[in-house]
Amino acid sequence: MNGDRGAASMTAAVAPPAVLPAAEASAETISRTRLLWLTLRRKPLGAVSAAVILVIILTALLAGVLAPFDPLETRPDIRLQPPSREHLFGTDDIGRDVLSRIIYGSRISLWVGLLAVGIGTVAGMIVGLVCGYWEGRIDLALQRLMDAVQAIPGLILALAIVSVLTPNTTNAMLAIAIVIIPGNSRIVRGAVLSAKQNRYVEAAEALGCRPLHILVRHILPNVTAPILIIASIWLGNAILIEATLSFLGVGTQPPTPSWGLMLSSTGRAFMEQAPWLAIFPGLAISLAVLAFNLFGDTLRDAWDPKLRRKG
Amino acid sequence: MYKYVLRRLMLAVPVLFLSSLIVFGLMRVMPGDALTVLMGESGNIGEKELAKVRKDLRLDLPYHEQYLLWVWQMVSLRPGDSLLTGEPILVSLGKALPVTLELATLAMILGLALAIPVGVVSATRQDTAPDYAGRVVAVSGLSFPDFWLGTLVITFAAIWFHWIPPIGYTSLWDSPWRNLQQFLLPAAVLGFRLSAATMRMTRSTVLEVLREDYVRTAWAKGLAGRIVVYKHALKNALIPVVTVVGGQLGVLLAGAVVIETIFALPGMGRLTVEAILYRDYPVVQTNVMLVAGILVTLNLVVDLTYAWLDPRIRYQ
Repeated sequence: MNGDRGAASMTAAVAPPAVLPAAEASAETISRTRLLWLTLRRKPLGAVSAAVILVIILTALLAGVLAPFDPLETRPDIRLQPPSREHLFGTDDIGRDVLSRIIYGSRISLWVGLLAVGIGTVAGMIVGLVCGYWEGRIDLALQRLMDAVQAIPGLILALAIVSVLTPNTTNAMLAIAIVIIPGNSRIVRGAVLSAKQNRYVEAAEALGCRPLHILVRHILPNVTAPILIIASIWLGNAILIEATLSFLGVGTQPPTPSWGLMLSSTGRAFMEQAPWLAIFPGLAISLAVLAFNLFGDTLRDAWDPKLRRKG
Repeated sequence: MYKYVLRRLMLAVPVLFLSSLIVFGLMRVMPGDALTVLMGESGNIGEKELAKVRKDLRLDLPYHEQYLLWVWQMVSLRPGDSLLTGEPILVSLGKALPVTLELATLAMILGLALAIPVGVVSATRQDTAPDYAGRVVAVSGLSFPDFWLGTLVITFAAIWFHWIPPIGYTSLWDSPWRNLQQFLLPAAVLGFRLSAATMRMTRSTVLEVLREDYVRTAWAKGLAGRIVVYKHALKNALIPVVTVVGGQLGVLLAGAVVIETIFALPGMGRLTVEAILYRDYPVVQTNVMLVAGILVTLNLVVDLTYAWLDPRIRYQ
């Protein structure tokens, strides 16, 4: 990011960038993609995590084709069957195929993760941009509000919000988004405060550009890297929080297949009799969160110039 | 220094005020209240009786009056009684806090005992087998859900060792051995989860510090490796680690909801969650404000610790 800023500052010194040239913006995009590609080639763990994320996305998209059985079909005659050739992950207490439920469960996890992080990131970004650019009273007021939200433990806040809105997947997603906002706003605010010091921002202000234009065209491109890095790490956390809310009974409701719900409803009740009911959904959650965490690390390695220099 | 602390405490007032508004507002917009939950359970309370109970509990007052009443109760340290059980909230807190404190302390000790040495070894032996092993443990700790780990630990302890930790809570003073049996597994699971972030932070900051000139000087003058790493490098690498640990301690003191549920420990987390589910306003509001106060104080303590770790830092 610093590097990008440095490059942009030099451009500003040559010609006042009233408008960021489209070619420059696309060159930056290409260079970031290329940086990521180079890092993925250098760090096999990052490449593996990207591949796992791709597999999870494809699984969610193609759940209807991949799942060997209907995830809601109950067959009491084959209840609590251990893993076999027909039912690779076994069956649950009412004879539903665990593998099919895990495959369909990936849809809930990804959906909640992507939307919650999307909403939380955009809202946090707007608050961070406003606070960082205008500073003063609005910054003080909004940051105290963010402090107040952060002073309430995330899970308790999410639980309270879901209880207000009635427990279901969509509301769990909204609750997670609200929990994400303060942390994101702080990161974006810091990045904006730093980006604002650049001479090209000063130049744009001197040329009479409107604040919204400066924010969107000159500052936002400088803060996208930290936003994307933190969003990728939050994706894993959002999946974990959704699973936890479902585990506590206030997230996804039965019979919809959700990894957290599978663990709490049948996984715990039959854990000695049928441990596969707890093992496989837990593995699915862990694998997804692990992949997003590792991918977040890889993005940071690729896009954080301080780490690049160390490497 | 005193001025700094005073300023920080002053800044905490609006934060706590806003937190109190958020939690009060959330509890009031929740559909139903503890009385409707009670009515649903008993099924034979008439509307008239319900109105009378609401009046007795002052739930019929306008919201702003209810809020001011609650603030006054909090300020005067008399948070009132639970709507559900009728038990004074201070008594409920007196039961739940020791459980949470013991769990948090044990988890913190186990977590740090794992995180700091592994983080240091990972940094001093960068890109070797111990480093890879340490990093895998750290990322696993971040990724494994605690409710899954908790469930697995109980399951496999039962399957392999035919042993199930005694359910419930026995005070440390009544039976230390039984208490340890009840706390060891949940604290280990929590400690493992917590150790992940601390381990990663320790590794990266120690790596950074090991490249500093004064560490090179320490090596050059022939100091033993242990002294260079633990005395010169580690202390200077601890500031970001303390930030992480401070945040974790705050979360722990809020109550590990899931772990307390799985291991049937009656701590702060369970008390708060049950109160939310049963719309027990006074309990939720008091607990959340207590935790918010603890978090704000912890943040201040963490900042003050920086000056102790790095004497160049001065607060004015």
